[in-house]
This record gives sequence, C-alpha cells and structure tokens, in this order.
Amino acid sequence: MVEARGLKEPKVRIIMLRGRMEPQINYFLMEKVSKEKIEAGLEVLQALKDSKLITQLNSCVHCGLCADTCLYYLTTGDERLIPARKVDIVASIYKRYCTFTGKIAPKLVNARDLDDETIREMVDLLYGACTMCGRCVKHCSIGVDIEYVIRAGREMLARMDYVPASLQATVNSALESGNNMAISDEDFLDTIEWMEEEMQDELDDTNASIPINQPGKDVLYTLNPREPKFFPLSIAAMAKVFHAAGESWTLSTNMYDVTNYAYFSGNPDHGRVIAQRMFDEMSKMEAKKLVLAECGHGIRANRWEGPNYIGEKFPETITSVELIADYIKGGRIKTDKNKTEAIVTLHDPCNLVRSGGIVNEQRYILNHTVKNFVEMTPHGTDNFCCGGGGGQLAMSEYNERRLKIAEIKAEQIRKTGAKIVATPCHNCVDQLSQINVTYKLNVQIKTIAEIVADALVF
Amino acid sequence: MDWIYWVLLAAVAICFVSFTYHFIRLVRLGRPRDLSRKAGNTGPAIVYSFTSAMSPANKESAFMHLPTYTAGIIFHIATFVSLATLVLILADVPLSHVFRMLLVSTAFAGSVSGLAILVKRIVDKKLRTLSNPDDYISNLLVTVFQLLTGLALLFDSLYPAYLLLTALLFLYMPVGKLKHIIYFFAARYHLGFFYGWRNVWPPR
Repeated sequence: MVEARGLKEPKVRIIMLRGRMEPQINYFLMEKVSKEKIEAGLEVLQALKDSKLITQLNSCVHCGLCADTCLYYLTTGDERLIPARKVDIVASIYKRYCTFTGKIAPKLVNARDLDDETIREMVDLLYGACTMCGRCVKHCSIGVDIEYVIRAGREMLARMDYVPASLQATVNSALESGNNMAISDEDFLDTIEWMEEEMQDELDDTNASIPINQPGKDVLYTLNPREPKFFPLSIAAMAKVFHAAGESWTLSTNMYDVTNYAYFSGNPDHGRVIAQRMFDEMSKMEAKKLVLAECGHGIRANRWEGPNYIGEKFPETITSVELIADYIKGGRIKTDKNKTEAIVTLHDPCNLVRSGGIVNEQRYILNHTVKNFVEMTPHGTDNFCCGGGGGQLAMSEYNERRLKIAEIKAEQIRKTGAKIVATPCHNCVDQLSQINVTYKLNVQIKTIAEIVADALVF
Repeated sequence: MDWIYWVLLAAVAICFVSFTYHFIRLVRLGRPRDLSRKAGNTGPAIVYSFTSAMSPANKESAFMHLPTYTAGIIFHIATFVSLATLVLILADVPLSHVFRMLLVSTAFAGSVSGLAILVKRIVDKKLRTLSNPDDYISNLLVTVFQLLTGLALLFDSLYPAYLLLTALLFLYMPVGKLKHIIYFFAARYHLGFFYGWRNVWPPR
C-alpha cells in the first residue's frame, strides 16, 4: 500500500538488543550504508536554504551547561545523552564534508565520516534520546537551537531510510488511511454517533449534536486519533463546550487528524502530504477557521510548520485552548469553578508553550474552572517535558528509556499534591497516564476540554 | 622586529578575510522564510535574546552554574579588552598608569578565568567526553593571549612573544570554535526571531 502511493518502505530494519537495565540501547544495522544514501543524507547539510542551520552547526562551544536542562542526562547521568553531544554528532558530519578544517584535519575538530557507526549513534541519540522539547534551547549559553539541529539530523536519517520502524509505521498509517491510527470511516462515525447520543442524554437536549462534514461553518475542528480510538469522552467534552458556546462548527471524516508524525520522523515530503491534506480539507469545507485539538505537536505541525511544509499560508488557525479562553472571556460559556474542588495542576506541553507561545490561556481557563489550581515547579516555558514528545510514544523501541526519564515529571506532580493533572495535549495525556501507573501517583489525567466540560453551567 | 609586525598583519588579514566570508555568507543566506502567521513581535524578542534572556535570572545554565558563568563572563570581557588593547598598543596610543593597570588587571582576571575553565574541561568527565582538541587549543590560546597582553603591558621584553602569540591566535581563529565570535551573534538573533515570531519572547 505504501509503495502504491509512491513511498518507500524503510529498507533497513533496526533490531534492538537491550543488555542492561540502564536505558542504553544498541543497534545493528543489517545493511551497510550505500554511497547513494550518504549523498541523500548530506544533501540536508549542503543545500542551505538560509543561514539558520549553519549558524547552529558553527555555534556550540561545548560548554556542557545544557546537560542539567535535559531529562535524559538528569535521569541517567549518561554523558552521551547531553544535548551538546546530539548537536555535535550532526555538526561533526557537517565539519567533515562542508568545512576546510574538517576535510584536512578531522581529528582536530572531531569531524566524522557519515558511516555505519555514526548512523547507529545518530539513530540512538536523535530519535531515541530526545523528546525535542526545546528546554535546552532556551537555556543554552550561546543560544543554539538544539532542537532545530535534531530535526536536521532526523531529516538526514529519514532521507537515508533510517527512521525507526515503529515511528515510520505511524507515519505510513496516516499517509495510507488519513489518520495515524488507521481508524476506518465506519468506526469513526459509529464513535461520533455514540458520543452524540451520550451528550444528548447527559444534557437532556436533542439539539446537542456533533456535526459531521457540514461545509460553510465557522469552525473546522480537528481531533487527535487517540480520541476516537481510546478517549471518545474527550470528543464529547469539546462538543459540550461548543454546544454551550453556540458555536457553528463541524468535523470532517475526510481529514480530522491533527497529528503529523512526519514532523518527528523528519521526512519533509511526508510532512507536506499530511499538511496539504489539512489545508485542502479546510478549503473544501469553507470554514472560517481551523481549530486545532489539544495536541502539542499537532498544533506545531499545523499552526507553525504546516504553511512551511506546503509553501503556502494557512487560513486562520488557532488552538482549542485559545478558543475556550475566548469563550470564557467573552461570556459565551459560563463556568462554575466550585464544581471541581480537588487540587488541579497543569502540565505544559512543550510544543504548545515553549515553542508555541500559548502560556497564559490554559491558566486563565483553569482559574475559571477549578477551585484549587496549583503550578508545578518549574512551569510555563521552563517546564519539563513529560517524556512522551519527539515521537517517543510512537517508538516502542525506547519504552524503557521513556519511562525512566519520566521520573522528573512524576516528582513534579507528586510535589504539587494534586489529584488531577490537566494538560492540553493528548500525547501528554498518554504519557502522563503511563507515568501515573509506573510511579503510582494516583492522579486523574484530564484534557482542558474535559475540565471545562465538567465546570459548564447551562 | 619589523618582521613580527608583518607576520601579525598577515595573520590579522587572513582572519579578517575568513570572518568576512562567514559574515557575508550569513547575510546572503538570510533568515528563514516563515510562511506561518506571525503571533508576536520579533524586534523586541531579538533585543530580549541579547539582554535579559542571557541573565542568570532567566537562564538555568547560568544560575545553576554561577562560578562557571562568572568565569565565562570575565573571560569574554577580558578577550574583547585584550583585543582593544592590541589596537591601542599597535597604534602606539599613550596609556596612563591607572588605565594601563586597569587593562593589566582585566587581562589577568581573564586569563585566570580562562585557566579555570580549561582545568574544568580537563577534570570534569562530562566535559572531557564532549571536548575535542580544538576546545583545548582555543581555550589555551585565548588564555595565554590575555596573560601575555597583561605581561607585555608590564614588561617590554615580552613584547615580541606577545605579538607572535597574537599572530598565532588570529591564524587559528577561523579554524575552530573561535568562529563563534561571529556565530554567537547569529545564533542569538535566530533564537530571538524564532521565539518572537511565535510570541514566546519577550515573556508576558
């Protein structure tokens, strides 16, 4: 099916051998890297579109101060996992092939050949040891956009067909079926119908509906496929909010998936296909604005990267968090904060907050919907990633490491004394749910829409 | 003695040409063309990137490592002061005793800081595994440059050694990480632009 669409299956399978308890993973690449693949990888470093990449590749001074900002180093103490090492492996290839010093005296500047050993290390460090949370970027003493370098490194690996099989499978599902969980239209419509009935029963209002494929509405709403697959009540929660606000909105069966895992795999061609679908559906449905569901990377992939993937400006695109905050500010919905008395804390999704500038809206909402809201330490743009970002939740190869790095988030939550953790990201909900079990936190994990739905006053 | 000046002049010229190339390349390539709708103001964010964002209050790498941060700041200030001193010396500008002692103190403080950073790089396993020969050479060259700047201001006999070391430094600058004298500014510009575009900086 993938090849039928002109896309290549990854030819190299990566087998994991886990010999130790600590999160170190070794790989065997079963094929020797070909000259063509090396050229394809190097193309990323050689075809410069602007000055940003060469700036990052020439800036790191190896001060090592980024180490203490990174989940991976903090929880494992493994020097290999320092963010600067991840920058260095990409920079070392750049130096080897694109700089005078690296060509004539590679050892002086640690310039490395792009060979099997380097690729093996790149896969482990860039896919398996980075959530692309960008925390190191904000605190880098120079200001190196480390995450940008990680993306460039992943793009190199994607062009060479070294994307971890599980992550590529998620991308392929989206390319083939229109959503990353390969949910059929029939199953999707069944779920929506079921949620609509639930909502009508709960509100005792037959006018409460979940509109599907209705062109000309004000809002085209999106979903994370985890919602119809595992958490359908979150669809009902947002539908309740829309109903309370009297919003003119619709879902589309053709394209509702807010995610774009090609952003994590690093393949811009795949990213473009998925982003273009969202753009086309928006045009087809003639909606005034695209509202992105609670999904950190989905918001980034559409709001910020989407236009750059397709080379065209998107129509007005906002997040559901901004929309709900506006509903409350404008009096379009009424909430009673006394309905939730338990202590609630907030987990800030990295892509929404640190890389998306949505910092205050979710706090405004919680201050109007729960009685006891407490912040984690640190929070906002300094918050720690939950550990599920960067495609980690889609890469089963790194499960053990992913749960290990979650120690920090577990401790942050524990210290708040909260009974409910709210987060505007379904990816984070998944990881936090696993943290909840692994670290025995005994908390509830909720999306912002679920919190708001609980507080609605009709 | 004249030949040393010529060597130094040649080294400065090579360094200047190389850095000019890097600078022009950066300018010609320009910043990324972002088609997403801008949410914030890039101008104030770029200013913030070069100012408050660098302060220990806003940067973990600074406030969690205050001794290293302080040493780094002194080291870099002393580097620029030493470069300015070189210009004053070559231009034969008369220096008052107080001003001369101020330059000497700054240069010595910088070299002590540079030495401390070098020792840390050697002793700290985390830094050692991260470092390549260029990291040590660059650190050592700048540290010795500062030291000789101070000594040459005190002892005329060290003047030839000072000029030769300075020539070596200028020749080495385009080779390795000392290029960050240019790329640092580009990196902070890009960071400010990125966060400003997305309304992350300046913080609200």
